[in-house]
Order: sequence, then C-alpha cells, then structure tokens
Amino acid sequence: MSRQLKFNIFRFNPEDPSSEPHTDTFMLEETPSLTLFIALNKIREEQDPSLMFDFACRMAICGSCGMVINGRPGLACKTLTVELPEEITLMPLPVFKLVGDLSVDTGTWFRATNTKIESWIHTDQEFDPEAIEERMENDLANSIFELERCIECGCCVASCGTANMREDFVGAFALNRISRFIMDPRDKRTDPEYFDVVGTDQGIFGCMGLLACEDVCPREIPLQDQLGILRRKMAFQGLKNIFKPKEKGRHRRF
Amino acid sequence: MSSSVDTAIFVKPPTRVSAYLDWIQMLTGAGLILFMWSHMVLVASVNIGPSVMNTIAWFFEATYMAQVGGPIIGATLLLHFILAARKIPYTSDAQGVIWRHARMLHHTDTWLWLIQAFTAMVILIMGSVHIWTVLTNLPITAAKSAMRVQGGFWGVFYLILLPMVELHVGIGFYRIGVKWGFIKRSGRKKFHRFENIWTGAFILIGLITIIRLWTLPIAGN
Repeated sequence: MSRQLKFNIFRFNPEDPSSEPHTDTFMLEETPSLTLFIALNKIREEQDPSLMFDFACRMAICGSCGMVINGRPGLACKTLTVELPEEITLMPLPVFKLVGDLSVDTGTWFRATNTKIESWIHTDQEFDPEAIEERMENDLANSIFELERCIECGCCVASCGTANMREDFVGAFALNRISRFIMDPRDKRTDPEYFDVVGTDQGIFGCMGLLACEDVCPREIPLQDQLGILRRKMAFQGLKNIFKPKEKGRHRRF
Repeated sequence: MSSSVDTAIFVKPPTRVSAYLDWIQMLTGAGLILFMWSHMVLVASVNIGPSVMNTIAWFFEATYMAQVGGPIIGATLLLHFILAARKIPYTSDAQGVIWRHARMLHHTDTWLWLIQAFTAMVILIMGSVHIWTVLTNLPITAAKSAMRVQGGFWGVFYLILLPMVELHVGIGFYRIGVKWGFIKRSGRKKFHRFENIWTGAFILIGLITIIRLWTLPIAGN
C-alpha cells in the first residue's frame, strides 16, 4: 500500500491584485521513484493547472527547480519523496524575487552579483582563434572544475542567515566563484584586486560561518573549505604592507 | 537588488577596515576562549583544596596579573562585544528575519549562532558585574568566593552565568575552526562532537566548583 502524500504548497501571484499569499493542500499517491519534480507536474496536470514552478532539465544541471522543501532549500528534481515524511511543505526560495507560487527569479540576482564581482577572466592577452588552446595541468583543471560545477540554483543564498538579513551580501555562490578565478592562471587579477572585490563585509568578511550553504548545496561543492581558504587569503592580504605609508590620491589602492 | 546608482562608489576608496575588524574579532574571541578555559581550571583548584586556590590567587596578585590583567580582560570583552555585535541585527524586522529563518531551516549551526548572540547579551551584563565585583574586592580567596556563593543570590547568578559562558566559548571555538578553514569538511563532524564533549566537561567542572564553594566551611579558609 503506497503512501498518500500531503503537499502544502505556498501560493501567491504578485501579478494578480486579488491574490493573497496562502497555502494550498494537495493529496497525491506515492509511486516508485517519485521525485518532487514529477509530483509537482502531476499535481499541475491533474489537480491545478495554475500552479507555478520552474524546471527545465529534471537532472540537477539547470538549477531552475530550487525551492524550500520542508524548511530546507533543495532541488525538486533531485529530491525523492521516499526521503520525506508524508506531509511535504513547499515554499519558494527566500531572498530572490517571487515570480509566483514556487517560482522565483534567480536570474536577476545572479546577473547582478556576477557583475559586482566581475565574474569573468580578466586578461590583456589578445585572443588568437588560430592558436592552439593553451594547456593547463590536469590537477589544476580538475580543482577549478570542482568549483565550476555550481549551477546557480540559489540554494546556498536562500539558506544563508547573512544573505537573508542583508541584501548586499554576495553569498557563498559569489565567494566560491571568485575562488575559481583566483585559481585560474589565465585571470591576471592580482590579490589586491581580488581583495577589492571580496575583502569586505559584503564579501568574505560578512560570512558568519553558519555553513548552511555547505549543508544544502545540491552539488556538494566544498563551500566550507573554499570559504575558509578565501577568508585566510583575504585576511592576510589585508595585513600586507600594513605599516607602509598610504599613497595620496583618489586612485590609491592600499 | 536596488536599481539606483550607488554614487558613493566614486568617493570611497577601497579600505581594509573589514579585514582588520574581522582579525580583531577573531583574535579577541580566541584570547577570551583561552582565558575562560584557564579561568575555569584555576577556580576549580578549590576542589583540590582551598589552600591551592588561595596560593594561585596570591600568585596572580603578587605579580599584579589580577590588578592589571583583570581590567584588560574586561576591556577585551567589551571590544569583542562591539565587533561581534556588528553581525547581530538591531532592528526588530531583521531580528524577525533571522528568527523565522532559523525556525524554517532546522539547521544546527544556524541555531548555534542564535545561541551565541543570546548568550553574548547575558555575558555582557553578568560578566561585567562579575568582573566588577571580584576586582573591587581583591584579594581573591576561597573563603570570600565561598561566602559570596553561599549568600544565595550569587550562587544563582553563577549557575546562570556558567552555562552561558561555556556555551558561548565552546560554540565560538567551533566557529573559528570552521570559519577560518582550520577544520576542513572531512573533520567538521568530529570537531563538532569534540566541542560538545569539551563544553559539557567544562560545565560539569564549573558545577562541581560551585557546589564545592557552596558547601565549603568559611571559617579557617
């Protein structure tokens, strides 16, 4: 006898003036290997076609289906209902702008944050399309790739106490992202320049070390380790030339 | 995200203030952790014998460590509070956000931070009162400590202050370890368990010490 699952789903359409935030309850019979992604699609098909939620890839690659599942941010497609109790409460991710019901706009936030930390390779090297691709040590490529696996689902940001309290905090996502560029020899930014970007209370020094990001990340990116490395690196960078007299002028850097 | 232009960006050169403050917050914290554990061990010397505690207290006064070190500890406590309090939300709105967030998340480390923030407030008041009382009534002796605890009010006072301090210090120890990357992902669980046992042990030693002071005959000590 399969379980009858009870879904409590947050409902609100900000576009509709008559819509009030509330919770709707749906019942669904559990089937083998049922994921929340399949369950939500079933509910939308069979019970309420107006239910809003995002998905694209259904295999934890696109990062669209991030939502709060019984209190914890996670991916709907990667969450099997057998891992959950009979009563399942689904809420949209906090911090991000609500599109409607379980759908949030993570894109605007990530775009703005990527711009803020200048999330691209900074180089003055002219690109030569004819040249053979530059080589990189395999170990280095692997360790960059380890951080590059981030799918920008927003779970780390939604689970972060600091990010929830302070909207200017860049979150584990950005700190992990900048770590990736620090590792990359093609990025010509110097340590003082990285310090400019994340050596602030909006960056690494705003992190309080609650490690919810580490605990919810669906990709299991080693955020605890990366944040620790980055904090030490930036903290020591802050102490460099501490007794050197400051240069005058508006453009001084350290 | 605000869509307005941050015009201040053109007049504000990058500073290192955040880095300095984070260093000082961590170093004062680490210093106070070491102090509190040493303090507990030294006071617990009364369990071996009141004369042992008296001798240690005499040593700290003969070398002026109590007279000079005491106020320095008090100032460090205050400095640490001011720096760490930057992270604690001041408006009821933001306090509501972190409270609801913690209740939603069911996440131990997030709750531990709320415990840190709460115990910080208690320690700020009660710790200051304790430092004042002890330093304005030197020298420290087992008999005087016993008399204070046996008065009743101070006995309850220390029964409250003890777990507050040990929790705050223990969680702070764990937090520094994971936040500064001394403890890696693979060692976190073990370190957390160690911290729990360690904190529990100190609370136990503290309780034994309070009971000892409560039952210590005052005459002759």
